[in-house]
Order: sequence, then C-alpha cells, then structure tokens
Amino acid sequence: MEHFFRHEYARLVASLTRRFGVRHLGLAEDAVQAAVERALRSWSLRGVPDQPAAWLHQVAYRHALDALRRDLRWTPLHVSRSTDWPTASPPPLVEAEVQDDLLRMIFVCCDPVLSQEQMVALALKTLCGFGPKEIARAFLTTEANILKRITRAKERLRATSIDPTALSADDIRTRLPDALAVVYLLFNEGYSSTQPDQVIREDLCEEAVRLALLLAEHPLTAGTETAAFLALLLFHAGRLAGRTGPTGDLCLLEDQDRAAWDWRLLAEGFRWLKLATTGEVVTRYHAEAWMAAEHCRAPDYQHTDWAAIVDAYELLLKLAPSPVHELNRAIAISRRDGVEAGKQALAQIPPDHIPDTYYLWHATLAEFALASNDPAATRASLLRARELAPTVAERELLDRRLAAL
Amino acid sequence: MAKFLFVYRGLPDQSQTPPSPEQVQAIMAAWGEWFRKVGAAVVDGGDGLQPTGRMVWPSGKVSDGPFIESKEVVGGYSVLQADSYEQVAEYAKSCPILANGGSIEIRELAGFN
Repeated sequence: MEHFFRHEYARLVASLTRRFGVRHLGLAEDAVQAAVERALRSWSLRGVPDQPAAWLHQVAYRHALDALRRDLRWTPLHVSRSTDWPTASPPPLVEAEVQDDLLRMIFVCCDPVLSQEQMVALALKTLCGFGPKEIARAFLTTEANILKRITRAKERLRATSIDPTALSADDIRTRLPDALAVVYLLFNEGYSSTQPDQVIREDLCEEAVRLALLLAEHPLTAGTETAAFLALLLFHAGRLAGRTGPTGDLCLLEDQDRAAWDWRLLAEGFRWLKLATTGEVVTRYHAEAWMAAEHCRAPDYQHTDWAAIVDAYELLLKLAPSPVHELNRAIAISRRDGVEAGKQALAQIPPDHIPDTYYLWHATLAEFALASNDPAATRASLLRARELAPTVAERELLDRRLAAL
Repeated sequence: MAKFLFVYRGLPDQSQTPPSPEQVQAIMAAWGEWFRKVGAAVVDGGDGLQPTGRMVWPSGKVSDGPFIESKEVVGGYSVLQADSYEQVAEYAKSCPILANGGSIEIRELAGFN
C-alpha cells in the first residue's frame, strides 16, 4: 500500500494507452491524474472504497472517454475515427493484461525516435508514476526542464511512433537491449552517489528492479539475458544499504558492513543468476552479474575470488569493451597478483583509451603509488582525482584519503 | 457530549501544480492517520463538495457561484462529537488540511433535530 497511487498510476496509464493508442498518451495521463486527485478529495472524507484500484480505473476511463469525445468534435472527418468504445464502463482489469500493457509501455518509452534522456524521463513519469518535481530532483535539474523534455518526447511519439499493440515479438526482441539500457540508467540514477536524497534513490532502484522483474517474467521477454540483468540489479540493490557508512559518508566496498546488506535481495539475485546460466547465450549482463555475485559470495574484501573477477572482466571486455572496464580489470589484477601486476595491466591500456578525465583513473594511480611508497605521486594523483570528482560525497572520501597521508 | 460541524476550507491542496501520485499517497496516509486518531469522535464523515455551485438570492435570482478566494472555498464537511470546543479543537489541530494551507471552521450544532 506504500506506493499504491504511484503504481496504480503506471498501470492505468499503460492500460489506457493500449486502449486508446500511443498518440493519446497525454490524454491517458491526464485522465489518470484527474482520477488520483478526485480520489484524494473523495477518499479523505469518505474513506477508501472497497476496491480502490477499480474505482480509479472507472473514473480514469470515463474521464478519458469524455476527453476523447470532446476532441473528436474538432477532428477532421478524414482522420480515422475507428474506435470501439461501446460502454461507458471499462471492462475489468485483468492482471495478465496489465502486465502486458506495462511491458508494452516499456517499449513505448524506449522508442528509438527518443533521446536517452527523454526515454528515462518518460519512463519515470509514465511507467513509475513519479511527478515532474521528483524527476527534476533525481536529475538535479529544474521541473520546467523535465516538463519540456517529456512534452517533446510525447510530441515525437505522437508523430512517428507505431502503435505498441502492433509491436511484434520480433520487434520486442530487437528493442530489448534499448529497454534494458534504459532500465539500467534508471537504476544507476538511484544507485549513483550523485543523488543526495536517500528516499528517491531507494525508490528509483526499487522501480528499476520492478521493471527488470517484469521483463524477466513476461513470456515475450523472459530469457537468459533478462534473468542475468535482473540478477545484476538485485546484487547491486541488495548492497545499497552498505554504501553509506554509519555517519552517512560514502563507504568503499572494502570498508562496508556486509551484515547491513539485504540478504533477501542477494538470495533472489543468486536464484536468477542460476536461471540465467541455463542457456547458451552470454551477454554483458552475465559478466557483470557474475562479478557482482563474486563480491556478494565473498566473506570479506580480502577473501574475494579475484581470479574469478579477473576472468569476468576478460569476458566483459569481449562483450562490451570500454576504458572503464579496462581500468577495473587492472584493479582486479592488482588484487589477484599484487600492485606491480596491477601497474603493468594499467600500462597495457593503450594511451588513447586512457580516461584522463575520469576521477577513478587517478584515484587508482594514487592507490598504486601509495602501495609503492611514493607519497608525492600519491598526493598528486589524489589531488587530480579530487578535482575531477563529480559529487560532494566522493570529494569528501578523497579528502579523507589525503588527510590520512 | 455535543456535536460539532467541521467546515473544511481550502481542500484539496490549492497550489499551482497538481500533486503527483506519490504526494497523493503521502496526503492520503496523513488523512488515514488522522481518522484513525479521531475515529471514535466522528459522527458523520461527511463528504466533499464539488468545486462549482449556485447562489440563490432574495430576489429569487439563481446565479453561478459563489466566487471567492480559493483558500476560502468550502471543500467539505464532517460532524464530530466531543465534550467541549477545547476538546474538539484538539482533534481539528491534527487534521492534514491544516498542513496544506487550509482551515477548519467549527460550529456546535444547535440540536434542533
């Protein structure tokens, strides 16, 4: 019941959008918003009805129908008016249909005509029921910007999108990587330390896990890739509580209190990881889930199976090469074989791959310099890292390391 | 024990942007909490009022209205029972409408019925 209105909002918007078409997404949202507000006025004084979801559905459906009929009067005759709305009362919502509608909504939000920023903002609004003010807080921008972003996204969808009910199983399979990328972005918004508001962070991660679960369970998208993806998110979500220390400061993995991790989520992660390895397909999410699993499995940082993690990075680099992964592999190698081996691994990264503006690159150089007893180089690298650090929390972490020198 | 009419003004949140589903959730939770607290004292939960209405004047004329400041608009009513104004005002103080910039007018019922 804690997020009832937000979740019902998403379900009803998905359902009405399927019924009336993507070009009426705005109308669907207005109708559901109106129903939610009416609920507030009515239920505050008269109490919550026996079937609150059905009440909302009824009110939203009628509101949408009225709005459409008003619109129709102004619609030129040549535009198709084919609709079949025989009754003023909506047919009851069937759970399986709602899951279908929510799934299709994910793919509407991931339409390739939209920019990634638009995809995430739209997903947060329509799929997760967040208000523009909350979304603005999550992206550290203004409400006006978010409203503009969402309006433009809907305009683009209206102009060019095909109806989600016309999406074939093949279309869905082709677009699945985009959908996963958007959900991953959503999750990282919550997980990353740029987000100062703890409550929003947990909500974002929870929403991303909910969508990942939908993707992993729905017959059209269930498979080893979505299973691995869900496992990965669960392994991260389960450790979210450990990322901040008792004083609210950002906590490195080696210093985290593992008892604070949510072991229910981690156990679920292991269950899904097992399901993910039943096929032949291996994706980047398999590699990432594998290394997250190794961290979760380990009793502590020192006894982590670093050899397995290095192997996982080798696999990840084959599937999704990136300088950041190369850096992380070098760190894992230093854990497995010692600082010298780590330095050599860093040296092997081609110069044009070096992410010189990535603060963790310099933080890693600082770590290796410290282990080699070179305080001057350590200080220089830490200062450079601090210059580039994106958030207050990370700067404070680096300040503590500088002070400890 | 006497009965008191609660006249709610400024219901719901009259700010420019309509509340998001999440904000509605929070407001509903607050109202639920309030009704649980004062529950036994509520004689009639009452109802909300539609935003527009009619005025009938001594001349017999019927017009749209009333048109007054949004924070003065009557949004609903309830009837509670208590031993005194002091006691019933205590109930009113914790009503969520006050947190949202609204107000409650309390009038003891005359008991004609």
